[in-house]
Amino acid sequence: MPETYVVAGANLAGGTAAATLRGDGFEGRVVLVGEEPVAPYERPPLSKEFLRGEAPFEKALIRPPDFWDANQIECRFGSRVARIDVGSRQAILDDGEAIRYDKVLVATGLRNRTLGVPGAHLGGVHTLRTVADAEAIRAHAAGATRAVVVGMGFIGAEVAASLRLCGLEVVAVEPLPAPCYRALGPQIGAVVAAIHADHGVKMHLGESVDAFEGGDRVERVVTGSGMRIDCDVVVVGVGASPVTDLLEDEGVHLENGIVVDEHCRTNIDGVYAAGDVANHLHPLVGHHIRVEHWQNAMKQGAAAAKAMLGSTEPYDEVHWFWSDQYDANIQSAGHVSDWANPVIRGDLESRSFVAFYLRDGWIEGAVALNRGRDLRRCIALMKSKAVVDPAKLADPDTDVRSALATV
Amino acid sequence: MGEPVILCPADAVPDQQMKAFPVGSDQIAVARVDGELYAFDDTCTHAACSLADGELEGATVICPCHMGQFDLKTGEVLDGPPPDPISVYPVQETDGKLTVELD
Repeated sequence: MPETYVVAGANLAGGTAAATLRGDGFEGRVVLVGEEPVAPYERPPLSKEFLRGEAPFEKALIRPPDFWDANQIECRFGSRVARIDVGSRQAILDDGEAIRYDKVLVATGLRNRTLGVPGAHLGGVHTLRTVADAEAIRAHAAGATRAVVVGMGFIGAEVAASLRLCGLEVVAVEPLPAPCYRALGPQIGAVVAAIHADHGVKMHLGESVDAFEGGDRVERVVTGSGMRIDCDVVVVGVGASPVTDLLEDEGVHLENGIVVDEHCRTNIDGVYAAGDVANHLHPLVGHHIRVEHWQNAMKQGAAAAKAMLGSTEPYDEVHWFWSDQYDANIQSAGHVSDWANPVIRGDLESRSFVAFYLRDGWIEGAVALNRGRDLRRCIALMKSKAVVDPAKLADPDTDVRSALATV
Repeated sequence: MGEPVILCPADAVPDQQMKAFPVGSDQIAVARVDGELYAFDDTCTHAACSLADGELEGATVICPCHMGQFDLKTGEVLDGPPPDPISVYPVQETDGKLTVELD
């Protein structure tokens, strides 16, 4: 009897996992189940080139359309794994079908948070996660002149940039002191704020939203301090929560997502998790960590598939992500536990720099603006936790790779 | 056979480095790795960044914007977000100049 592996979540993590199972020679049954009615695709373009109408959806597919059939991956797009019964090893779909599995990978990703304020249900108030969301925003933005973006995390900041590039007036409302504050810290957050200001985004920082008002469609946003901002379309980007309902009450350790070890295994035999939903014991970071990055979704999806096939290699990629806003290419690697006193190579004013954040002498994290080569070069130093010389790191004429401290 | 195009003096591309040159409306990059020359489209197929601004790791070029990786011997995508390979071209060092043969 051939084995059956079920992947719940037909996204970058789940799709990459299914493809890796086949690529690494698994000959059993692979079933890939995903709520959206389309083949797995990458989400980064949804807030950028796809939103602006510059790239077709097909360009975002993670594999060519015929890949799944050609590799005998059974696809259930437009279905959802409603529940996993770990006792009987069955994945139960929302239409009632039960699929008996030998191993299951949960890559269900995230669900957007919404604002529990009056008017949040009005037409023209959007969140962004799926291609359908992006199409809806695009359709509303096409006839609009004034947009409000609520929440200037990466999705909000990228949407604000894209809507400006499409010619809309954009007002942003963000409760924290700077855009992308949690991921980039106060200093780089201020640089991002300046970039948006240069491009004409009117930003209200330290400001919350009390209500959306309008008839059928949103007409204005009322803020915590009483401002009333007239608008035609709103995009809310206030974060997302891991989708774990399918494992409720099954004895799987759930805490900030699905808790897995360094091999993407949960505490229950045969149940794995990867991608945005997985709270992973990262060997380099030294504790459990859950990230919502493109690179982690792809690499961890592949690593989980390999673990399902018996690999004993831990997943220990240095986390890395990018964000493109206007002409600014922001990249970040590693994890920063203290935003104070970064070593700066380049110049914040000129918007070409890397900020290195050191801990006990090694590079714990780095944020680069328009300086990808230097960021790439520091990743090996992060991975080895080599003690570096801050003066060499700061010196643009010294190769980052040779910035080791001399003992 | 393609038209040979002189790109630059041979010493414009030292070992372990790469550089991009405008050819018509395109940018063609040349890399020299352990004495071997590679010519390729400088424009990443993902988001159109200049690959010559990225990193060389052996005969692999890594895009500076999103870490897409291409094999300079074949042009194929090795890692990262690029959807399509880049074109690679024959390149020679003759009479102190680098000459590339475009399609």
